[in-house]
Amino acid sequence: MIIAPTRRNVLMLILALSVVLVIVAGGALAIGGVHLPFGELWSGLLGSDPHSEATIIVREIRLPRIILAALVGAALAVSGTVLQALLRNPLADPYVLGISSGAALGAIVALYIGGRLAAASPLMAFGGALATIAWVYLLGRRGGRLASYTLLLAGVITASFLSAIILFVLTLLSTRDIRGIAFWLMGDLSVVTDVQLRILVPVIVISIGAIYFFAKDLNILLLGEQEAAHLGVNVARVETATFLLASLLTGMAVSVSGAIGYLGLIVPHLGRMLVGSDHRTLLPTAALGGAIFLVISDTIARTIVSPAELPVGAVTAVAGAPVFIYLLRRAAG
Amino acid sequence: MNKRFRTVTEGKRSSIHRNSLFVLFLIPLLIIFAAAGSPRIITDQTGRQVNVPDHPQRLISLAPSITETLYALGLGDRIVGDTTYCDYPPQARLKPHVGALLNPSLEKIVALKPDLVLGTADSNRIETADQLERLGIPLYGLRAHSVQDTLSSIEDLGRVLGQEARARQLVTSLNHRVEAVQGRVANLPRPKVLFVVWYQPLITAGPHSFIADAIRIAGGDSIADDLTADWPRLSLEEALHRDPDIILFSKSDSFAPALDEFQNLPGWKEFRAVKNHRLYVVSDTINRPSPRLIDALEEVAHILHPSPPAAAPGSEARR
Repeated sequence: MIIAPTRRNVLMLILALSVVLVIVAGGALAIGGVHLPFGELWSGLLGSDPHSEATIIVREIRLPRIILAALVGAALAVSGTVLQALLRNPLADPYVLGISSGAALGAIVALYIGGRLAAASPLMAFGGALATIAWVYLLGRRGGRLASYTLLLAGVITASFLSAIILFVLTLLSTRDIRGIAFWLMGDLSVVTDVQLRILVPVIVISIGAIYFFAKDLNILLLGEQEAAHLGVNVARVETATFLLASLLTGMAVSVSGAIGYLGLIVPHLGRMLVGSDHRTLLPTAALGGAIFLVISDTIARTIVSPAELPVGAVTAVAGAPVFIYLLRRAAG
Repeated sequence: MNKRFRTVTEGKRSSIHRNSLFVLFLIPLLIIFAAAGSPRIITDQTGRQVNVPDHPQRLISLAPSITETLYALGLGDRIVGDTTYCDYPPQARLKPHVGALLNPSLEKIVALKPDLVLGTADSNRIETADQLERLGIPLYGLRAHSVQDTLSSIEDLGRVLGQEARARQLVTSLNHRVEAVQGRVANLPRPKVLFVVWYQPLITAGPHSFIADAIRIAGGDSIADDLTADWPRLSLEEALHRDPDIILFSKSDSFAPALDEFQNLPGWKEFRAVKNHRLYVVSDTINRPSPRLIDALEEVAHILHPSPPAAAPGSEARR
């Protein structure tokens, strides 16, 4: 299915997917380790009695976590969409290319230097993501062109190299930090603070909005750099700006939730199946689709082994790895 | 006004005996209510400031060692929730579980309405404490890096939970048992011990762990005492080079190694301790900084120094 990227269609698309997101979020809000009947759920959501158990569970535990899942899902999916366009490679994704590992390393180094995971880590994660993108991009360029498989391999190798460095830094940390980090590394949304949300909401929303500004340029870039330059696109400016924004999104997402794999890969593909590959429709679809995907995944993660919880990265990997293999075989054939 | 006043004073005088009895009952009640109404700010063993209610009645334990200690202090009835790993005493298995040690379900905890959650720095995540603090639920954290730490954390728990006398009594008797072991092994030769936390790869207990301390008190020297990490990975060749006299394992549900396995395992079969059949399995209470750690300590002392027939009868008393 291909949806023509008229302004009216884009708005309708955003509206429709937002409705789906709200329904999914509503469902996620209703499910959890503790069973709450509908009446209590509703009064908890309204917060009529601020000290009731239902209010605390719905508004203080489930809701912030769902908001975090939606933000991180949107950030990773948009980041994946942008990387796939910039690198002209359908298998690009922040996780596969090692960018998530770079961000994770940044966050862990921040922890090693400064004590706790919360404070300096988003900035360091952004730095790590940016450095990794630049590195992989340079490695993947051959004779002025991006070589698809070279790039992919460069990313995979970089990811495993960075994982090794992460393991090394972990040995320098005390055991009690390591256990928390090991959990976080697998992708974990269970730790939310108000401060994190206050930073994440504006940064992620504005970054996605800014990327949308380049939607047409990304379409043209898909034709190739030279072709885009002939068509009047300032290739260097578009690439720099969107690389920066994609790193920012990945860094923000990883700093709060660790490395959640495959979401940035498969959501853009599902989006293309749904609306076609025009970025004016694809970007909003990926953003909202990523949000929906991660809210569902996290709901599975926190309920399937209740009262314990799975790291959400385990859920997205189980769903994502088979899709990755399918895409790889299709790209090879 | 005047008349009423007189009536009151007359009434008071006439029933003074009954009133004084009533007041006598009232005073302790008032003290309890006043105290319960003003929670204390206490610095816990991890250095966090915790708002602890004066007489916590609904406790959640986030570690098996804490669950065991609470039962030992007679506070099992106050536990409203524990973890899926809390298996001792058997009643602990029947309590509602809030999840595992690293990732308990916050909403389960909230739903159980605890007035105090108890955790340890070594088995729980600091993030859990932060999240609970955000929800207004105090978490009191314990940490134990030695046998003495374990005993003082039992006493500390008793103080926080208003069971001081019982805790002190328990710790005194545990201390006697520790001293009995110390007295018995004081002048005996100290064997070199390798404690195996995991064997593929080889992970052992560092010098700042209560396990290494228990081995030390039981009259042995851990071969990993110069390593600084809490749970250091030791290379097999280094372990062989250090040539332990005795190898100790802890038993658990999922892991019960047998001697003949190691007699055939490459590398391991070269240990003098394996060749001499000096490989022992200790009860898994050695992994728990709870009152039963002392049971394990006595067990280890028994392995390292089997009491000769001539030993004094009281020296190897067990519980």
